[in-house]
Amino acid sequence: MDGDVILVIVVATALAFDFTNGFHDTANVVATSISTRAMGPRIAVGYAAVLNFAGAFLSLAVAATIAKGIVEADVITPLIIFGGLIGAISWNLITWYFGLPSSSSHALIGGVVGSAFVAAGPDAILGDGILSKVVIPGLVAPILALVVASLAIVIVYKVVGRLRPGPVSRGFKAGQVVSAGMLALAHGTNDAQKTMGIITLALVANGTLSSENFEVPMWVIVSSASAIALGTYAGGWRIIKTMGSRIIKMDTAQGFSAQGAGAAVILASSQVGYPLSTTQTITGAVMGAGAGKRISAVRWGVAGNIVLAWALTLPGSAVIGAATYGLTRVFGTGAAGPLVVSVVALVVVGAAFVRRLQQGPSITAPAEA
Amino acid sequence: MAPVVASLVEWGDLLKVVWVSLAAGIGVTVVFALAIVGATGMVDNSREGRRFGAAASGLLLVLSLALCAAAIVLGVVAMTAK
Repeated sequence: MDGDVILVIVVATALAFDFTNGFHDTANVVATSISTRAMGPRIAVGYAAVLNFAGAFLSLAVAATIAKGIVEADVITPLIIFGGLIGAISWNLITWYFGLPSSSSHALIGGVVGSAFVAAGPDAILGDGILSKVVIPGLVAPILALVVASLAIVIVYKVVGRLRPGPVSRGFKAGQVVSAGMLALAHGTNDAQKTMGIITLALVANGTLSSENFEVPMWVIVSSASAIALGTYAGGWRIIKTMGSRIIKMDTAQGFSAQGAGAAVILASSQVGYPLSTTQTITGAVMGAGAGKRISAVRWGVAGNIVLAWALTLPGSAVIGAATYGLTRVFGTGAAGPLVVSVVALVVVGAAFVRRLQQGPSITAPAEA
Repeated sequence: MAPVVASLVEWGDLLKVVWVSLAAGIGVTVVFALAIVGATGMVDNSREGRRFGAAASGLLLVLSLALCAAAIVLGVVAMTAK
């Protein structure tokens, strides 16, 4: 009975994480479209939410990596996953509060690794899998996106350089509707799968699914897709400003190149099962589109702050995940620990939202093109 | 340390991500730019009564948009195939 209660709490927490992931990453997906005025904010966010939902159904390769390739499924318990999820959610909310576009994916992996390390020791961590499927792709992807976007924009300027700026701008603005859609689709497929993988891992840990040969159940796919889409629609307006206008001020050709490069890298990575940081990848693409036009157009100081946030994400979320697991175990191995921690987490989240709302919206006018 | 890391990397998957990203990210963007060249050329040539030029630009527009659409469909199909 206790096991089932804990499983329900873990699934609810995983879906809450998925919601915060969509909420946190809305900026990544829509910022370029909004900053170039290719779409209005509300339309861009609604459009991204729908395509995030659709993207979640495209593939399950990333979910398989999360469920099988990060921690030893055999020694994981639902309490360990709960600790990891709270670590990730806390990290997402902290970075959202301060307007930093850190990685939800790395927060999730860091949280679960920290919690598993404290609970079951270093043998529970699949270091090879984390290195080959998370760390190295995580380093390559933003650089690749930067290179792709910068090469693309250099060639594009050569191709359209002699044309009148008005038709070129209008053309790329129309193209951004499609490229933004592809980026949202890519985001949905990579990020929603992480939650699917975590819920599947919890089902294996609870004995609901066999650890020998398991597949992601359909209800997990549908609920994860819905949670990320709702989170995206709710929107993280605070981070949009950082992503859309503080790194560079883009024209529509740059926006199109950045979105195309980001979508290409994320979709290609999802296909081989890399649980990528979509935030890092899209930021790399945005910086590449800026640097391809003019190196000095990129506000490298802001980019540096973002890099710092990324570097802190894995250890920060791991520490919170480990602490959460420890706190949960104070109440034993039953459902009392997760219940108490969930209530505390809800109170803290509620207080953060109220405080945030009292400070007013972060964006009161669209960024300059 | 570096050889150990190198032995852990699945180079086939990583290289696939690199070449697909380069081909799709740069290819689609540049082909879409050609569509814009075609669209503006078609309008300008039509306005100045150059039928052949307008037709050639129109063809470039249609072919470029078709290539972009094909690349997107191919990408989505490749995602769902695995």
